[in-house]
Amino acid sequence: MTTQTQIPLDAMSTEDLQRLVEVAQLVTAARDAMSDEIVTRMAGAMSEGITLLDRLTRNEGLMHLLKVLDRQETQNLLIAVSDAVHSASQEISAAPPAIGGLGCMMRVVRDPGVLEGIRLMSIIGKHMSHSLREQHSRGG
Amino acid sequence: MRILVVGGCTGGTIVANNLARRLSAEIRARKVRITMLSASDKHMYQPGLLYVAFGQMTPDALYRDQASLLEESINFHVDPAATFDLDNKRVTTQSGKVHEYDILVMATGSRIVPETIPGLAEGAESFYTEAGAVKLFKKLREIQEGTVAVVVGVPHKCPIAPVEFIFGLHDYFKARGIRDKIKIKYHYPIGRIHTIKEVAIWAKHEFDRMGIEYETLFNVGEVDVENQVVKSEEGTETKYDLLVAIPPHRGMEVIEQNSLGEGGWIPTDRFKLTMTGHDDVYVLGDTTNLPVSKTGSAAHFEAEVVAENIASIIKIGVPVREYDGKVYCFIETGHDSATYAMFNYQNPPDLKSPSKPMHWFKMAYNQMYWTSVRGLL
Repeated sequence: MTTQTQIPLDAMSTEDLQRLVEVAQLVTAARDAMSDEIVTRMAGAMSEGITLLDRLTRNEGLMHLLKVLDRQETQNLLIAVSDAVHSASQEISAAPPAIGGLGCMMRVVRDPGVLEGIRLMSIIGKHMSHSLREQHSRGG
Repeated sequence: MRILVVGGCTGGTIVANNLARRLSAEIRARKVRITMLSASDKHMYQPGLLYVAFGQMTPDALYRDQASLLEESINFHVDPAATFDLDNKRVTTQSGKVHEYDILVMATGSRIVPETIPGLAEGAESFYTEAGAVKLFKKLREIQEGTVAVVVGVPHKCPIAPVEFIFGLHDYFKARGIRDKIKIKYHYPIGRIHTIKEVAIWAKHEFDRMGIEYETLFNVGEVDVENQVVKSEEGTETKYDLLVAIPPHRGMEVIEQNSLGEGGWIPTDRFKLTMTGHDDVYVLGDTTNLPVSKTGSAAHFEAEVVAENIASIIKIGVPVREYDGKVYCFIETGHDSATYAMFNYQNPPDLKSPSKPMHWFKMAYNQMYWTSVRGLL
């Protein structure tokens, strides 16, 4: 059994009624502004959006990446990478074109920063190989 | 466990995707394998053909690549089934490849057979194929005056289509400013204007309001193409300038050739959705002989039951659900209004007043369909 609560019209103030009229006007305006094409485009975008979201949320790799990205040290690494990309783009625009040759290569590898970078890449490579081997052994 | 899905339209695609989601762990562990056989690498949104017939959609908007709609874990083959050996659980395809299965899902659909009525294929237009819908639109554009007759063959897919087409015709000619020069005459094979009583009562009122003429108990017997006359088996006839037919349908030829069901419709348990006498064969969509509408909506609700039951049989050994006959049909009542009919084995439809938001809901669904067949809605 349900009970209905009715508000008598005379109990509503002029302001209340005015607000109701405004809401009704808003709904009518939105309704009049809509067209089949707008509805179709919106629904199409929503349909593709839902599909994309479903793909992303069921992608194990992406979900794992998001988990890793939540860790503070990964965020530090991301900040460092973005800073490095920014600095590199500035440095490369100011540097003269590389002349090539062994001498040039020697100068580059003598730079401690470059050596640090190579070391970072090799550590990432080592762990990546380890993870891939483990996944294959699990039949992934 | 090998699950073989035969048919890549609405029912087959939803059931395969739904199973791939429910059984993802089993598929990864290689305990379950899902294979789909289809006649085409394209998937068509068939209800869109009605819009093509009125120039509201172009055919390219109706298609997607079937592979793009399927879960990655489904083995998809464009190689339709040719023979079924249900006793030995084997299906042979047209290319000669043999697929063995533990569970078979039959979702082969239906086809139009206008050739079963003399003159119908030559004399009548129809919107049940892409080419037919485009041709019909061109004919509608050309006509300036005269009689447009609509006849309905039985059985046919989408029971609401005849009345939707009539409402669309009325609005189309009204928009062109020639409604007063066009007589629309509707013919229906039984003693009222629609097979569903509630729809018949409601549509009759709408037809009267729109000035649509109608003749009931008109089973199309023959079309005299030369004299442009359509004749009924009951002995009446209508002269037309443009004849539009909802053509009669049959199940797919492969079902009849393999003696799986008369007329291509497979005898199906109305609650379990299994083939009579074969508990390892599920049937859904147009392929069943069930007393429900042959629509994408019925196929959708059936597919959900079938997928849930197959998954539960694999996980706990028993099915968990029964199909209650649910069907939900949008009814376009013109170019800017719509309503819907929802019913099941127990409850007849309770039609609501047509409205513009319902029409937008239908327009939105035309896009959301692709999310639906992916098993997301």
